[in-house]
Parts: sequence; C-alpha cells; structure tokens
Amino acid sequence: MASDSPWPRPADAPAAEDLSRCVHCGLCVNSCPTYAITGLEAESPRGRIHLMKAVAEGRIPLTATVQSHWELCLQCRACEAVCPSGVPYGRLMEKTRAQLDAAPPSGAQSRQMRRFLLRNVVARPRVLAAILAPVRWLANSAVRTAAVRSGILHLIPPLARGERMLPNRVGAPLRRGGDVPQPAAPRGEAILFTGCVMGELFGDVHRATARVLARAGIRTENAPLQVCCGALSAHDGDLEFARRLARQNIDALEGSEAPIVVNSAGCGAAMKEYGELLDGDRAYAERARAFSARVRDATEYVAGLGVETPAAFTGRVAYQDPCHLAHAQRIREQPRQLLRSTGCELVETNGADMCCGAAGIYSLVQPTMSAALRERKADQFRAARPDVVVTANPGCQLQYQAAVREAGIEARVMHVMELLDEAQARAETERQD
Amino acid sequence: MPTRRELIRELTAAVGAANVLWRPEDLLVYEFDGTIERQAPHAVVFPAGAEETAAVIRACNRLGIPITPRGAGTGLSGGAIPTRRGVIIATARMRRILEIDPVNRLAVVEPGLPNLQLSEAAAAHGLFYAPDPSSQRACTIGGNVAENAGGPHCLALGVTQNHVIGLEVVTAAGEVTWLGNRVPDAFGYDLRGAFVGSEGTLGIATKVVVRLLPLPASVVTLLGIFDTVEQASHTVSAIIAAGMIPAAMEMMDRLTIEAAEAGLQCGYPPDAGAVLLVELDGLPGPVETQAARARAECFENGAREVRVAQDAHERELLWKGRKGAIGALGRIAPNYYILDGVVPRSKLVEVMARVSAIAESYGLPCANVFHAGDGNLHPLILFDERQPGMPAKVLAAGAEIMRACVDAGGSLSGEHGIGFEKRDFMPWLYSETDIAHMEQLRGVFGNSGDFNPCKLLPTGTGCGEMAHQEAALRAAGPDAYV
Repeated sequence: MASDSPWPRPADAPAAEDLSRCVHCGLCVNSCPTYAITGLEAESPRGRIHLMKAVAEGRIPLTATVQSHWELCLQCRACEAVCPSGVPYGRLMEKTRAQLDAAPPSGAQSRQMRRFLLRNVVARPRVLAAILAPVRWLANSAVRTAAVRSGILHLIPPLARGERMLPNRVGAPLRRGGDVPQPAAPRGEAILFTGCVMGELFGDVHRATARVLARAGIRTENAPLQVCCGALSAHDGDLEFARRLARQNIDALEGSEAPIVVNSAGCGAAMKEYGELLDGDRAYAERARAFSARVRDATEYVAGLGVETPAAFTGRVAYQDPCHLAHAQRIREQPRQLLRSTGCELVETNGADMCCGAAGIYSLVQPTMSAALRERKADQFRAARPDVVVTANPGCQLQYQAAVREAGIEARVMHVMELLDEAQARAETERQD
Repeated sequence: MPTRRELIRELTAAVGAANVLWRPEDLLVYEFDGTIERQAPHAVVFPAGAEETAAVIRACNRLGIPITPRGAGTGLSGGAIPTRRGVIIATARMRRILEIDPVNRLAVVEPGLPNLQLSEAAAAHGLFYAPDPSSQRACTIGGNVAENAGGPHCLALGVTQNHVIGLEVVTAAGEVTWLGNRVPDAFGYDLRGAFVGSEGTLGIATKVVVRLLPLPASVVTLLGIFDTVEQASHTVSAIIAAGMIPAAMEMMDRLTIEAAEAGLQCGYPPDAGAVLLVELDGLPGPVETQAARARAECFENGAREVRVAQDAHERELLWKGRKGAIGALGRIAPNYYILDGVVPRSKLVEVMARVSAIAESYGLPCANVFHAGDGNLHPLILFDERQPGMPAKVLAAGAEIMRACVDAGGSLSGEHGIGFEKRDFMPWLYSETDIAHMEQLRGVFGNSGDFNPCKLLPTGTGCGEMAHQEAALRAAGPDAYV
C-alpha cells in the first residue's frame, strides 16, 4: 500500500534492490568531491546511501539534516564509475531528489522557485532567449571591462560574484532549427542537439561542431521541434517534467536512424538514459530505448568516424573531464584522442576528472561548495600553466572561465569541438599557403 | 555519568563546534565499517593534530566515556564500530603528507591519509609505499597501522609492521609521545612494534613515519586461467618450490571471477574455475626469465591459458578486477561476510574443501579470494541480512570456518585484525596467561578498558549483544545520560 511507504512520492522511490547493492566497502569515498572537501561520511556516497536506506527502512524520519546531506551531492557520479558493486548512484539520487521535490523538510520556497524557473524559463526557448539577451550584452559589454579594470567590483562582493559567473564572451546564439554549416559532398547525416542554455550562450560550439562534422562529410540536421533535454529538472527531482521533455524530444527526433549528436555532456548523459526515465511509460518505453541508443556525445561520434582530418594546434592543453562524460557516459579516451590528433601538448592535471563544482544549477544553489571545488581547479591551473583549458560541457566551460580568471593565468577555455575546429581550420590555411 | 549536553560541551571545548557531530542522522552514518556489525556513537569528533586528539581523549577519560578511533571505516573486523557507543575519534581532518624525503626514502604522513594517495605522491620521486590493501583507494595509513594491514604485494615485501619506522601517538591515557623515530631499528623494547597491529586499543597515531621503496625497474603480470582451484593452488606451490618469490600471487574462484568481470570488465574469463594473478618485478632480465618459468608452471599444473599484460593499462585492468572483486560481490548478494584465515600453504587445497563443505552445510553461497602466496584466504559468505535469523547463521558458519583454519595449523587473521568479530576465538590460539599479558600491555598505554572497548581481547564488560539502537537513538534528547 502506497501510504505505508516512508517516502512522500512512493511511485518514484529509490528501489530497494538498488539500495541493497551497496555493501559499504567505501571504495567510492575518495572519488567524491564533497567528501574530499569535508571529510564527512554523511557527505560521501556511502553515507548518503546509508541515509537513504535508513529512511527507506523507517529507522529515521526524513529530516532537514538528512535533506542537507543529499542536497550537497553534486550528482557528478564519480562514485558510480568506481563502484565495484555497480550501485546505480545517479538513479538513486535522482529518485531521492524526487522525494525532496514532493515534500522538502526545509527550503520549500526556493525549491518551488527553481521548479518554476526550470519549467517556465529554461525549457521555453523564447523566454530563455529574452532572459539571456541582457546576460549576453553584459558579458560582451565595455561596462563590464571597465568595472573589472577599475577594481570597483571588489568593493561590492555580490557584484563581483555575479561578474565571475558571467561567460567570457558570448557569440551569436544557435537555436533549434537555425542554419548550420554543411559539407559540400555529404556521406552521412547526424542530428545536432541544440539544447537550452547551450544554444543561447554557446552557439559558437554548435557551429564549430557542425564545421567539424562537415569536414568529415556529415550533413547536420538542426531539428526545429527539439526541446531542452530535461536533465536539470531530473537532477532536481522534478521527474514528471523531465519525462514530459523526454517525450517531446522523442516525438521530435524519432523516425530516422541518424545519430543524435550532443556536445553538452550533461544533456547527452540524460538522453542516453531516456530509456530508464520512461521505463514505466507503456507508450514510450520502447521508443525511449531506441532513442537513447542513437545518442552520441560529439567527441564519441567524431572519434568514431575514423576520419583523420588534418589539424594543427600548438600549445599546452589541459583537458578536464566533464563528470557526465567521464563518469556517466564513461567516455574518457575519445576527447583526449581528438586533442592529441591536433599535435598539441596534452597535459594531465591532478584531479582532471573531479567535478569543477558547476554541476548544472549547483553553483547557484550551493555556492560555497561550488567555489571550493572551483578553487581546487584554479590551484591546478596555476601549477600546470596551460595555454588552453578544454572541456565538453557548457556549465563546466563557464566554471573554468571563472577558475582561469581566479588562477590569474592567461588561458583560453574551449570546448573540444572548438579546439578541433580551430586546429582543422589552421591546417587548411597552412596547406593553402 | 554525564548528559549528552555535557559531553558535547566538553568535546566542543577541545576541538571547536564545527568538528563535533551529535545529530542522530549524522551519527547514523558512523554506525558501520566494512563488516556487518552496527552501533552508532554518541558523538563523532574530528581533532587536528596530537594536541587536540589528546584533549579529546583526556576529556572522555575524565567523563568515563568510551572512545573508538576510526579511519575510513573500511575495516573488516569491526574495529571501528563503537561497540559501547561513546565517542568516535575520526582522523579525517588529519590527512596531509607532511614530508617526502627521497634521499632517506621515507615519508611523514598524518593518519587520515588514504593509502593510495601516498603511493601516488611518492611516484613523483620514483618511490612507492608497499602495503597495498584492496581498499587502498579509501583506507587510511592510520587504519593500516592499527590493523597491521597487508595487501597483495606483501608477499615479497612484508606487511605494515615492516614499513612503519616511527609514530607520534597519543596514548589511551591522553599523553603525546613518539615510538621509534626516523631511523629504523631503534634499540630497546620495540614499543613501535607493539603499537602497529594493536587495533586502536593502545592509542591513536597522529604522525606516521613510513619507509618508501624504489619502484621496480620492470614488472610482468600474468593471469593463469584454470578449471579448478586445486590446479591453481598447486601452481602456487610449484612457483614457490621453484625458488621464486613473486611480488604478488592472488587467486580467485569462479563466483568471484563472475562478479568481478560483471562489475569491472577486467578481462577475466567468466567460465573459469579459478584465476591466478602472478606479478614478478625486479631487473628486466631476471624478471623475463622468472615470468617464463611461472608461465610454464601454470601450464604444467593444468592452466588452460596464460595471459600476460602487454602494458601498464592491461596490468591495471587485471589488478582492478582483483582489488574490486570483493565489492563486486554486492552484485550477487546484498551482504557478504568476509573471513580472513591463514593456513600453511600446503594445506590450502584441504582447507578450501572444508570451507566449501561448511558453507554448503549452512546452505550459504561462498566466494573465495586468496592471497595464495602466503596462505591467506578470504572466504566470503553471501547473504541477505533482511532474512530473519540470517546474520546469526552467517556468524556461526564463519566461526566454523575459522576453527577449520586453526585446526589446520593456521591462524585467525592475515591482515584484517581480530576486532570485535573474532575476539572470542582468541583462546583457540592463546593461553589465559598470554591474554593476561596482553591486557597488561594495554595498561602500560593507559587503557583501562574504555579505549576501543570489546576489541582484540576476549575481556571487558558490556560487550554483549549490540542491540538495535534505533529506539535509543530516537529517544535520546540532549539531557539523556550517555
């Protein structure tokens, strides 16, 4: 009987068989960024799972303290990648967040606000475009440059924080349905997933991706009816809305065998798991699995094409694994392989695969922990002195821009596709010379 | 008896409010280690350094509150379980590497440092720290000292005891002192030796001076694949009889192989009856010769195939399977009870058969992982603790298996320690006089019974049933007596 459940939303409760997988061996704890910072068992995957078990077994009520431990989790899934027992931690935490979404012991208002924004702003292309227009203007404006130079920001900490979160420079958006570069003689076709914030703030990455695909002879389709992937909602516990978006994307992109190429690791990870998300939906479960099977991260797809497009790039490049690429999608080698193919000097920094603290909306919701993790990256950059910091996810890209500024070094921050595109373009120019 | 409020006030005075946990939900996650025992403490404190640690210990002694030290909570004998509740002293705020001295080949570290992080840092100097328990990603140097931890590579290089040369400790009486120092082989009574392996009953190490060894010039790792555990066991004996001392020699049985392969994709053939992982290291020439010989011994004893790791990546993969094997058994059953018996290598096959028979008589599945080279076996009984009466049944089967090891001329622990779980078996190997002497040694360090109570020795009071403490946890307000 549902009313017997200790969980406020039994339909999405963490599954007993997932919970029982954890044998508390502890091999995960040092992969956990929040454990690395705090040293507290309750801020480790093992501790968080133990609290889930305790609530599930009715040993403790779901209190605000328990909630705080679950909410400090970045959902980076580094623990999942090292777990010998195969605990599906990402799924457990999503389901746990769904319980907090249903009945949060504290902070109900800010949760409602987040839910509202994710549903009505982030997932609505036109609203999002309107909201982000001033951000783009501000990021690129002379006002900002002047404010930074004058040092006035140091006097007003909230402004300084705001400035730090702004992107370096924002190119023109590339929204769903928009024109993308195409090859002269196509030999294949792929669908480019444009996403929500990605399309608004990282249109440059989309265009770079399409150019890389074009050079490999791949025609890029930019489907007009695609929507936000729903990852942010799912991570925050709003599974209902995440499922709605998933169904919309399936409707928009099915009916073709073409791979769905995603250059945002977080979106790609979520879309590869649509099959799981819609498992209980009779009309969509099968279609969702078929959809997920077509999803490819851009680095995975391009590396898999096996085309050696000439590329030339000099300088020290520090690749930082996006969590949802390395841990959720288990893709580590392909981006490095693509970078190495440009001839650059690939440097491995310590903890390259540890979360940078961006983690979707985490940097807004948990600014202290997020900053602590960003500072760790800044320390690494100061030591490694890269010319370029490269990653493959929009949130990480913004966070690394801030970390590089914090480190006080001169380094560009790029997406793998941007670097690859630039390196290929450079090789073309050199050939023509 | 103090109230909880008084206890928290004293602890806060010693380490600051930010470093004391007292909320029931926060304490609940300190009720377990790697075993199946459970008991939540009244408080957890995180001292930084010897002085704060000493202040906490003295405060607890004054109040008559039991203390249990804790590293990463990966222990496999219940050593970090606060059996009589009280205060857990966790070393999580002491996890720095204070010094690496490549010339004298030693490092000074804090006790909360994860084992693997030491070897990773030492690698920059071409050095490594030898003891490598399978939990090395997580387990701490302090915990390794307490349990005298081993690991696959202890076959040739020895256990923690052989690699710790000095310790700064806070004794159970709350006094700060050094045992040994930076120079090995100190004269006089070896109190450092007494402390290593004392399972957190004599005090807490706050600094550890460890030996570092040069990384081997050449390593060959091979995987012998067999149809039966017997064949693999005979190979182990044959390799040693041939005069080789491999760096490591590890065996896994079918159930373990299945779990490891399913969970870690390490390249073990899932249909094999046993695999034997043999690692040889040293100078390139001799290593090649030895590897060829080890390979021949595998085939001689019935191996169906022998794979040799071609590069560091392949070697890592083979080891990943071994080091994650135990956790991977979580795929097969929700719980396991891991045993740690040692038998003479010549009795390995015989004892294995006995272990299978015992597990079968209880109707319990049993997987096996062995540090085969030194006769250290780890039978893992698989079960589901939610089945009524199951934990008691599993413990009974475990006791019978341990008895079988002792009867075969073996011992109770290779590397996991005695802890809470095997303390009642101590009389199988030690006389009353022996145990009384050990008890006296505790007294020398100021432990009158409240410092990690109910561990290692079958003495002390209040160590009976670790009842389910939920009701107590819920009822205990700040004014309840502890």
